Amino acid sequence: MLSRIAESFFWLGRYVERAEATARLLAEHHQLLVEDRSVPDAIGCRALLEALSMSAEGVESPVELVRVVVGHEADPSTIAGAVSAARTNARAIRDSLSQDTFEALNSAHLALSRGMAFTASPGVALHRVLERLLVVNGIVDWTMPRDEAYHFMVLGRELERIDMVGRLMAIRHDQLWPSSGPAATLRAAAALSPFLRTGRPIAALPVRTFLVLDPAFPRSMRVCAADAEEAVRGLYRSGVSDSGQLLREVGMLRSELEYASLPTPEDIEKFVGEARSAAVRAGDEVYGAFFRPHGTIVWSH
Amino acid sequence: MDQLELTPPGSVAPFDEMLLPDGLPRDTHADMHRTLVSLGADGLSERARQRDAYLDRHGITFTLGERERPLPMDLVPRLLTPSEWQHIEAGVIQRLHALEAFLADIYGPGRVLDDGLIPRGLVTTSTHFHREAWGIETPNHVRIHVSGIDLIRDEAGEFRVLEDNLRNPSGVSYVLENRRTLAHVLPEVFAHHRVRPVNDYPERLLDALRAAAPPAIRHPTVVVLTPGVHNSAHYEHAFLARHMGIELVEGRDLYCRDNTVWMRTTSGPEPVHVIYRRIDDDFLDPVHLRPDSVLGIPGVVNAARAGRVTIANAIGNGVADDKAVYPYVPALIKYYLDEEPILPNVDTYDLSDPDQREWVLGRLDRMVVKPSDASGGYGLVMGPWATDEQLHDVTAKVRAHPRGWIAQPVVTFSTCPTVVEDGRLAPRHVDLRPFAVNDGTNVYVLPGGLSRVALPAGSLVVNSSQGGGSKDTWVIDDGSHEERITLAAQAAPAGSVVHDDEVLRPRRNSPPSHDDRILQQERQQQQGVQPSGGTASPGQPC
Repeated sequence: MLSRIAESFFWLGRYVERAEATARLLAEHHQLLVEDRSVPDAIGCRALLEALSMSAEGVESPVELVRVVVGHEADPSTIAGAVSAARTNARAIRDSLSQDTFEALNSAHLALSRGMAFTASPGVALHRVLERLLVVNGIVDWTMPRDEAYHFMVLGRELERIDMVGRLMAIRHDQLWPSSGPAATLRAAAALSPFLRTGRPIAALPVRTFLVLDPAFPRSMRVCAADAEEAVRGLYRSGVSDSGQLLREVGMLRSELEYASLPTPEDIEKFVGEARSAAVRAGDEVYGAFFRPHGTIVWSH
Repeated sequence: MDQLELTPPGSVAPFDEMLLPDGLPRDTHADMHRTLVSLGADGLSERARQRDAYLDRHGITFTLGERERPLPMDLVPRLLTPSEWQHIEAGVIQRLHALEAFLADIYGPGRVLDDGLIPRGLVTTSTHFHREAWGIETPNHVRIHVSGIDLIRDEAGEFRVLEDNLRNPSGVSYVLENRRTLAHVLPEVFAHHRVRPVNDYPERLLDALRAAAPPAIRHPTVVVLTPGVHNSAHYEHAFLARHMGIELVEGRDLYCRDNTVWMRTTSGPEPVHVIYRRIDDDFLDPVHLRPDSVLGIPGVVNAARAGRVTIANAIGNGVADDKAVYPYVPALIKYYLDEEPILPNVDTYDLSDPDQREWVLGRLDRMVVKPSDASGGYGLVMGPWATDEQLHDVTAKVRAHPRGWIAQPVVTFSTCPTVVEDGRLAPRHVDLRPFAVNDGTNVYVLPGGLSRVALPAGSLVVNSSQGGGSKDTWVIDDGSHEERITLAAQAAPAGSVVHDDEVLRPRRNSPPSHDDRILQQERQQQQGVQPSGGTASPGQPC
């Protein structure tokens, strides 16, 4: 497979996940800001923007927050930007994607670029974007052969997911809104119902432990690491090879989270930091091994 | 103000909660009023469409006449000030303490009956008095784990108790859903208010149910028992089970053996310790109650009597919310608590008393007549709007069975602005059902509760089974009840909220394509589209 094609699949996985997780997070955070007025808007907005590595300069109301995070096509940290970047990558591999996948992604992109009515009721508009992204994921799931391309895409998605769970946890809803915060964190990861089934109280430590170490929830960092590891093994099975460093990164992360003992709050923060660093290292490793090996000649000026 | 035409002659104008008689908003409602006016009819119509789409999509429905429909939620929230709420909360708690004491008494020593405060016959003839429940001890002395005491606001703006619901009060899921829905479709109304949150209700309920478990059970298993998907409140049963993270069971999922209740699971039988049942007493146990019930669990009453399982709410609570017992509640408050009632009743006539009966039947056109054992507005006759035939009919029924009926003067309860056709605002009558949860140590009253609104102009019937809707109900937060520590979090500079270095790392993005590459790609001759010479036909791909 062409490195360029592989790279596009990898980024398609990442950007779709980023757009979806950011939209869910924004919808939930906005709802919390609106419903529970105990935290000043400026502080509430800043908490989300800093976690998304975006500038909080001048953003002091929920309406403004939505405008900035929905963003624009040029900035792939924003929802519109991530969807647009996903679509750009999908165009490059349009021949290898099912027609339905491209159409679903395209409709999400068009909805965003035509400027949906985000200001009136952002929750409604964000839900529409989310729906379309879920369609993309659904079609991919039941139409794509489990080949090399698929494994690159899943690897991208899982690395992004680890990053997004880390950003979600960095917001500290539990400290800003002690009563409604922990439930909001769970909702932002679509984890409320699965968490409740565990029978644990909705409080900071159990919630954070769940998002990092739960063995069954598909957005816990532990499951993401396991899925990333499986994707790398899938790549090896389909014939690609590298130095083994990529498998080492994701495998060590998975085993650290899988065999973690009952954590203290400090342990949890340590795990989150390590997981995010490991995801970054793994991302760099994918580049070095498959997309731009050392010594690649790049013409530029 | 078209409902005024329907107000019976001689009665006083209703109390409007937002507007003063001169049409100006009350100070407490000024911000809300401004926001609504600025949205205008078009804005409100648009939001109403979004609300319907939201409710449909989320399947937030109740079932009426075999049809699932969204509970109509009005876009204008109802505001309660901190002092109004304090008054309501104290009144509800007081009333519950008295009613708990009453139930413990009549299903035990019967002191109140011996003292003659309430006629023994009135209690024993209640359709909801169950001898089967006599002598069943509840582990933490709670029988009314969950209650919904219906309040109205009279012409002077005073809150009064209209009826007690101590069996299976429903509607709490709509309180939580209304808040989320409103924040979703109309976020701007929240801008000027701090509203006390409602979303910890499921947690409070679960704590109370666990606290009610038989002693010596350290990790009790709690379940929600539903009649099934065809019940009108099934949405709520599923909602509560999901938000408490516990099983939603039907009667056929449970069985009793050796006075223990078991749940059938794929890993074998599992013991159940607390049943939050949302089915009526009569259907709970075919062994003791209705023998034809297929919804219940044979033997569960014995298990409860043996102290192996707790049924919440307790069996037989209905005697205390019987409408014929209702007139005695103020006296019960004095009797058990030695306190004056904080929330007054609505005047009520006991039709089993011949003098009162004749007096009421003589002015039936100014009365509301209700069956004493029904809820949901079924069987209710509103004198001023009833046909002669209806009045004649109900007179005959009352004479035949006086114990089965009560009468109250028509109370024109308060109105709130409500969105009607075309996004216009018009006053509609509202009541209020605050939900209270008793864990044996404290009674928690969910701030706000369910405001039901009679959507047809002038109508005073708010029951969802009779075309009523609901309103998100806000208790304004002045911080006085605070035990929270948000101040500490707020005082910290925001930068320290996000302290993880990883977070500040910018996101990884795919390397940008160089502009010149895009340019060159655009300039490439696309042979498939360009007609080419030679033998290939024009327009055909090579």
